[in-house]
Amino acid sequence: MTISVTDMLLMRYALWRCGRGVLPGTVCRYLEAMKERPDGSLPLDSVRMVVFDTETTGFDLKKDGVISIGAVALNGLSIDVSDSFEVLVRQDRVGRSEAVTVHGLLKKDIARGVGEIEAAGAFLEYVGSSILVAQHASFDIAMLNRILWDAYRIRLFNGVVDTASLAKRLEKGPYYNLAHKVGEYRLDHLLERYGIRLHDRHTAAGDAYLTAQLLQRLIAKGRTSGIETAGRLLMQ
Amino acid sequence: MASNTIVERVAADLAKYPPFDKLAPGVLGDLAASISVSYHEEGELLFGKDDPLKGSAFMVMKGAVRLYDLIDGQEVLVDLCDEGDVFGVRAIFGGHGYLLYAQIAEESLIYDIPVEKVKALISADAGVSMFFAAEFAKSVQDIEQTLSSALSLRRQGSSVPAASSFLEHETLEVKPVENVVTCPEDISVREAALIMAESNIGSILVTSPEGHPLGIITDTDLRKKVVAVEGPVNERPVREIMSSPVYTITGGKTVADMVMLMVKTKLRHFCITEDGTVESPVKGIISEHDIITSEGNNPAVIMKEVQAAEEVGQLKAERDKAENLLATYMGQNVAVHFMASIITEINDAIITRAIHMTLDALEKEGRGIPPVPFTWLSLGSEGRREQLLRTDQDNALIFADTGGGEREALHAYFLEFASRVTAILEGAGFVRCPADVMASNPKWCLSLTEWKDCFRHWIETPEPKAVMHSTIFFDFRPVYGEPSLAAELKRDVFESIAKGRGFLEFFAKNALQNPPPLGFFRNFMVEKSRDHANEFDIKSRAMMPLADAARVLAYQLRIPEYFGTVERFGRIGELEPALSGLCREAAAAYEFLMKLRARNGLEHSSTGRYIKPESLNKLERQMLRNVFSTIEQIQQTLNLRFQLDYFRD
Repeated sequence: MTISVTDMLLMRYALWRCGRGVLPGTVCRYLEAMKERPDGSLPLDSVRMVVFDTETTGFDLKKDGVISIGAVALNGLSIDVSDSFEVLVRQDRVGRSEAVTVHGLLKKDIARGVGEIEAAGAFLEYVGSSILVAQHASFDIAMLNRILWDAYRIRLFNGVVDTASLAKRLEKGPYYNLAHKVGEYRLDHLLERYGIRLHDRHTAAGDAYLTAQLLQRLIAKGRTSGIETAGRLLMQ
Repeated sequence: MASNTIVERVAADLAKYPPFDKLAPGVLGDLAASISVSYHEEGELLFGKDDPLKGSAFMVMKGAVRLYDLIDGQEVLVDLCDEGDVFGVRAIFGGHGYLLYAQIAEESLIYDIPVEKVKALISADAGVSMFFAAEFAKSVQDIEQTLSSALSLRRQGSSVPAASSFLEHETLEVKPVENVVTCPEDISVREAALIMAESNIGSILVTSPEGHPLGIITDTDLRKKVVAVEGPVNERPVREIMSSPVYTITGGKTVADMVMLMVKTKLRHFCITEDGTVESPVKGIISEHDIITSEGNNPAVIMKEVQAAEEVGQLKAERDKAENLLATYMGQNVAVHFMASIITEINDAIITRAIHMTLDALEKEGRGIPPVPFTWLSLGSEGRREQLLRTDQDNALIFADTGGGEREALHAYFLEFASRVTAILEGAGFVRCPADVMASNPKWCLSLTEWKDCFRHWIETPEPKAVMHSTIFFDFRPVYGEPSLAAELKRDVFESIAKGRGFLEFFAKNALQNPPPLGFFRNFMVEKSRDHANEFDIKSRAMMPLADAARVLAYQLRIPEYFGTVERFGRIGELEPALSGLCREAAAAYEFLMKLRARNGLEHSSTGRYIKPESLNKLERQMLRNVFSTIEQIQQTLNLRFQLDYFRD
């Protein structure tokens, strides 16, 4: 798995700070794990993939915050229920935001959660060097990166797969312009198209579990077009 | 620290099915947290026979898995697992390897349950341990049963392909009399009669010096031709009074074959020769008596009784016997087309008898015999000879045109006649048609010209009601009377269809209105109406789409015979070789459905139309699945053929 020069430098700097005892254990264990990144030539059934979802107070990267993170791992292409993750975030930014009712989380639940930075750290440790997978991944990654940057001057260095783009790539080829038909690749539509039974929509962990089932089908579909290794999945 | 949301989700899925439905929440959650969820595509092999046991048992959450064995290189299906079924439990009980192959039958989501977890549950929870003990025993038993029946089939050296053996298992063979008494053709009638009396037999075969059959003399021949005729016949050579030629067949005929032959030829004796022709030596003889005594409950007996019946009550009693007979045949796995022909013959005989009774009565009352030729038609499934159980009456009457002005008088006569016949049929147990599609309805008791006009009108103006009527009436079949009236009507229908535009498209579109419920076993596509909630309407969902498609194609290809659906598909396959494979499947599918419906009907003393999906066994479910995909292909064929995607009504 390749990594950009900037990321390489950021990682070195962060590891140096770990050596100085500046960064917390969760972050340092993540960085250590990232040293052993899975090789791009590995077949997909021998890499760990973490499918995750975040729920946020809204869609503004600057103003809104993360309310919860849910994730489940694919080991050997099976969804491993024991290898799953869920955290509620105590969110001070919660206010008039409409997203709160959508997610069905009560303010008192959110108040009971852990701090945003602590949650991101726990997630880092859980993820390790795995491939990260999410529906419309760029938004969730950006949300988490903002927290990580503000707190530790790092970001997620993992390979990332967006299930919406992957579905588009498999159905229409790599050059189809997604922007024209966003609706077609919404999670609801994809789940319906791939015959996945809906439940627990709009909790982070529930969506992560559904997205994981979607990923299994997309990988099965991708096998016929030669996507068999981690590198091919990440288009590297 | 697994995600609670996901664990709860998985636990809720597990709790839907035994044995996990009875677990305490804590235990269930613990089990759910250990599951991994795998996705498999159709055709994937989960494990093979003798493969080392895996670390988990499996539960199907979505999709279906087939468990099979290979015998002489051929797959024998042992079990079909769908949602909620647990398999691969051998891993729990140990052993050296799997006993069967497990292959994904349709894309599936499988829960892998770690063996250690199941073992812990078995030792802790009595319910779970009972379940797995029973499940294990059952699976072993299933394997043994399926395999032993597959093996015994093979041992019989049956040349029938495995797929159809389910339908074509006619094992009741008629044993012919092998020490046949024969005589040369030049002995006298008196001598022949003497031999018959001495041997205490009802017939004697007349043979050539090479042993080839020349003719036969029976009791009846002696009675009618010798005793009843004046003058000295006794000393004449037998060749002058023997019935010749003899009807010859080859050996190995089943009761089914023989009864059909008897019904068809109206003969009572059949001679078995080496090659089945009169040009080879006699091997044996089968008489009506042999056929009748080969089983107690016999169609020929019923037919005779029907023909001799003097009142409605007797007809009803015989029809009841026919139903018993059907039940016997079902038990013996006799082919459906045979059962349907027998029942049709019996029904036709009852109709014929009812007509004779009516004609006699009318004559006695001084109303006279029918003034012009007429034809009694059976419609719908009875027209297609597909009635196994008693369903509604669907009939009509054609009378010949006179050209004169006495139409009203004719109409009145035949209406009175038809009302009496339908009343007798009702008494015999044939319920009146709720839509009043009966010859006693003035609308459906018409002269040939009026029928032609009526059908032409439907063909030229195919509005929904006309198309709906066509589906019933265009399956007409003459049962009694002058068959040329029906033939002429059919010819006219072909002509009108050729002239008219678009009728076949409407007809075809109508055949597509019930798409097959492909998601049947997942979604239980059952009827919403209150009376039949949670039941599946096998007639409208599976049989009608096939019957409709066959009818459309039969009329497009101008097939003149009064065929049933199975025969129609057979002929369509001959006329259009590109469709022959699909037509064979469709015919087999239809036979299967007829049988399923008949069995269901006998079990519940109903028309058998509504089926509870959970009452089907695994094999039947598998067959139904195949049936649905055949229906889909047939409908796609119609769609393409008539370009219905571009066709809007």
